[in-house]
Amino acid sequence: MNELLVFAGLTLVKAAPLIFAALAGVVCERSGILNIALEGQLAVGAFCGVAVSSISGNALAGVAAGVLCAALFGGILGLAATRFNVDQIVAGTGLNLIALAGAGFGLVLVFNQPGASSEVPALGDAGERALIVLALACAALLHLALYKTPWGLRIRACGENPWAAASANVDVRRVRFGACLLGGALTGLGGAYLSLGELDLYSDGMTAGRGFIALAAVIFGRWSPLGATAAALVFGALSALQFVLQRSGIPSELMQALPYLAALAALGGLTGRARAPQAEGKPYAPQAR
Amino acid sequence: MAIVALLVAAGAAAMSLAGANPLTGFAALLRGALGGPHHVAETLVATASLLFPSLAVAFAFRAGLFNIGAEGQLIVGGLAAGLIGASLDAPAVLAIPALLAGGAAAGAVWAAIAGFLRSRFGSSEVIATLMLNILAALLANYLVVGPLHAPGAQGAETAELPSAAWLPPLLPDSRLSIALLLGIGLAALLQWIFARTVFGYELRAAGAGPEAARRAGIDLRRTALLTMALSGAIAGLGGATIVSGVLHRFNVALSPGYGFIAIAVALVGGLEPLAIVPASFLFACLQSGSVTMQALAHVPKDVVTVIEGLAILALSARRGAAPQSAEAGA
Repeated sequence: MNELLVFAGLTLVKAAPLIFAALAGVVCERSGILNIALEGQLAVGAFCGVAVSSISGNALAGVAAGVLCAALFGGILGLAATRFNVDQIVAGTGLNLIALAGAGFGLVLVFNQPGASSEVPALGDAGERALIVLALACAALLHLALYKTPWGLRIRACGENPWAAASANVDVRRVRFGACLLGGALTGLGGAYLSLGELDLYSDGMTAGRGFIALAAVIFGRWSPLGATAAALVFGALSALQFVLQRSGIPSELMQALPYLAALAALGGLTGRARAPQAEGKPYAPQAR
Repeated sequence: MAIVALLVAAGAAAMSLAGANPLTGFAALLRGALGGPHHVAETLVATASLLFPSLAVAFAFRAGLFNIGAEGQLIVGGLAAGLIGASLDAPAVLAIPALLAGGAAAGAVWAAIAGFLRSRFGSSEVIATLMLNILAALLANYLVVGPLHAPGAQGAETAELPSAAWLPPLLPDSRLSIALLLGIGLAALLQWIFARTVFGYELRAAGAGPEAARRAGIDLRRTALLTMALSGAIAGLGGATIVSGVLHRFNVALSPGYGFIAIAVALVGGLEPLAIVPASFLFACLQSGSVTMQALAHVPKDVVTVIEGLAILALSARRGAAPQSAEAGA
């Protein structure tokens, strides 16, 4: 019984950053923006959080900075996608490179050392738990917001048929830009959780593909906040299982591969029809039709 | 031009931030890329390594497909070549074609998974190739740290290939092999396929306007599957040339992100195979110069990756600003 509780706790610890990033993926994709820069946004949140916590000596200020910086970074994708009609996938790839290498450069600038920062004031156990609760609360809130409010209706309309939304007086570009900002802020919370909640430093590569697992969770959860959260919890449990099975002889790479294999299976229709928002990834220009 | 000026300015700003004189930084970058025969040879090695994945990315882009998975295809191609090369005790005329073909086949299969999901289920090849990138890295890591680990090796690498499996060198006393010539030949072949063959026409038509292509009787599903497989084969071949020509063994750190930088290279080359050759050289200069820049001017190598990311971001805007110009260009 006690072991089960420990396992459940570890699952939540591992799932929380995935939940934040997956919710960000849901908001963006439902609005029509395919955000493959979640990985980079996690790194921005994690690094900026640590940098500001180190400078200010205040972990909460660090979290706030992580959220703000990641939101602004998400805004770059939003701006590019709504004002310059860029290829969202190409732009996202570029943003990932910028964020991951930029954080590495930032380590040299702020901490004078490559590879990893020094230890900084962190949130501690209580703060970590608070962020886990916040992740679950965000999932519930986003569910309500997306399906029960006019804002949510506008988001979904922009993702399914932006021209129809525009003819109903929705400012598509503004809605999509807002979704990118919100997505960045949510991912920033996930990043700050990684560096200031679970740990107390930033190190190169610490996001370890979580942004891509989050994309898998979005598909597995069929583009709904609660579905994506459930998928993130399953992936978190897989991650927790790795610790339990460490000496069992099952290769850890196989356990790490499961979320990605699950995503491929979902793309292949093994979990029922997985349908992405109709206009996802498609640039919207007001005079295009 | 404006983009280049912007990127140089960003580079200079980053160097100043790192406490280096931008002039010293750029001089070190240039010296590392082209300052002497050894540096030039290493830059050409990087050119060849970048050329294959860049051609792979461009090939898929022309057909309107996003192959973001060149990195993973490069890895499985290199892995297959490493396995074949190490286990085959044959003369060079057999061993080299066998490992190159094996690398291309592995890359083709890896990318075809995404192509199949796209053509059969209409699923996004972007997400599928992203997932396959990570799966490739995990597979390689598992095999090379575990069952295939070279006895006594320091890093995560397989045993060294017998010298019969090495691509012939192009310059004495350097790591430059005939991979560069293979890549340039492949670029010319692709240019010809685009311009002169029915398949090349169908591929461009599918990229320029899928609906019109479908009405003209082009089987879009078949084109998507075939395009992804061939794109993967090109990247996989690239992985094989790195193993057989440069490292002489498979190492999990075979690629410092060539598969992603390839996107920038392909866009700079305007998705034209022959123009991608000089574009690869340009990015190879950045890549090989960055090591010297870090050593001499104390500017972290990461700065170059940031610049490359900025280049991709800037080019994505240009691509969007003139819709379909790239695909419909020819």
